[in-house]
Amino acid sequence: MASLTTDLAPLLLGVLLAATGAGKAFGRRVAGQAAGTVLVRVLNDGRRATRALRVTGAVELVVAAGLLAAPATVLPGIAAAVLGAGFLGYLGYARATAPESSCGCTARADGPITWRAFVRAGLVVVGGAAAAGARTAWWTQAARHPVASLALLVVATAVLAAFSSDLDQLWLVPLRRTRLRVFGHPLGTGRDEEVPVAASVELLERSLAWVAAAPVVRSGLIDHWEADGWRFLQFAGVHEPGGAARPVTVLFALDPRATKDTTDRPAVRVTLIDDRTDEPVPVDLLA
Amino acid sequence: MTGRHGIDRRSVLTSAALGGATIVGASALGGLDADAAFAAPMPSLDPAVSRSSFVDGRVSRIKGSTLDVVESDGTHRLVRLTNATSVWKLETVTAEAVETGDGLYARGVEMPDGSVAADAVWVNIVNLYVTVRGIERSRLHLSHGRNTLVGRIVAKRTTASFRGGALTSDLSQLKIGHHAQVLGAWRPADDSVDIARISVGH
Repeated sequence: MASLTTDLAPLLLGVLLAATGAGKAFGRRVAGQAAGTVLVRVLNDGRRATRALRVTGAVELVVAAGLLAAPATVLPGIAAAVLGAGFLGYLGYARATAPESSCGCTARADGPITWRAFVRAGLVVVGGAAAAGARTAWWTQAARHPVASLALLVVATAVLAAFSSDLDQLWLVPLRRTRLRVFGHPLGTGRDEEVPVAASVELLERSLAWVAAAPVVRSGLIDHWEADGWRFLQFAGVHEPGGAARPVTVLFALDPRATKDTTDRPAVRVTLIDDRTDEPVPVDLLA
Repeated sequence: MTGRHGIDRRSVLTSAALGGATIVGASALGGLDADAAFAAPMPSLDPAVSRSSFVDGRVSRIKGSTLDVVESDGTHRLVRLTNATSVWKLETVTAEAVETGDGLYARGVEMPDGSVAADAVWVNIVNLYVTVRGIERSRLHLSHGRNTLVGRIVAKRTTASFRGGALTSDLSQLKIGHHAQVLGAWRPADDSVDIARISVGH
């Protein structure tokens, strides 16, 4: 089994590197993608970063060709392991210096560098080392043990897919869907029935009270609390009777259970309170 | 939260309000919550709005109640927070919740010295159109364009609205594949988003 694994390693790694290498070397979006990687900062130029990515892709293609065509020789395996070690170093550097940068690993994903990228680069190192130990060509082994070879290829492909975010759509989302179906909706029960403050603010903002007080209100929601069966929403404002501006607290009070689903005509208490005296300001907002 | 004035201030305000408040009924339209940060500017009859200044950038330094904000073009703007400034960071918070490195969007009045006295500040606010790719007890897996994103569900803070309905803390109608609008607070530490509101079917 161990020899089967090492003998098939060149095939697996060769196909993987051929795919990622072709994406980088010939992909149409490589220029845009290079712009998001740490290479731009290192090379100080977007065009050079694109070239670096394309050259890396070409190197991957050459190594892939070596692995697939001359599987029983040591050199392609070692080259692949060195390539993987280079990826690991690059990822480590990028992660440490620019954690928000894109990985550029597979020429498709734009996402930031994740642990999956590290595992994938690690697999290239391990795969390369295994391929260097191959003594028999993969086509000979595959012909000798077709069933075991097929099973190994399926398992290895599944492992690679698990560590490639490009393929999430194919397996991860259906898996999550199935989990919801089997175990039920995780957000289905145990939620409190209390009306969220955001719903009260939403109701307030659709009310006539809000429109009437809008010329006075300056801030967003500053504080909220419940007392005596009312939900209070506190805002800051400026009241300017006759041009003399004075800072006021604008206080709205409404039914804590009301939402726009339960009423479209909420009763809202509106009070302006002078910030310097803490006394209510007598004003008819609807006038 | 207890607010910057504490419980005592609340009871003073409560009794003042219950004493002689105007009760207003009926309905109309308007808005000044977190959504307003993204609303298209439109002419207003209110003279206060025409005097408003806006600052959008990252907080580079905090000195007392003054924030040094670097805008995308590298300009430094000073934003002053007062007792009358509302601060939003997933929910209504106090000024102490603002940290260096936070993204900030502020509306206020420009002072003669060039600083902005803020009326309202929104911290790390993001507004994204996403597709739901996974649902767990404490987080949602979302895709935004070609990127994946983790949306955190924060107890008693995350709300949802389905097909134009009122905001609710019941997220059980959420399904994988839903296209949704997420309003939330970005977490610079791990690049995830705390969800304030997820709207589906609007």
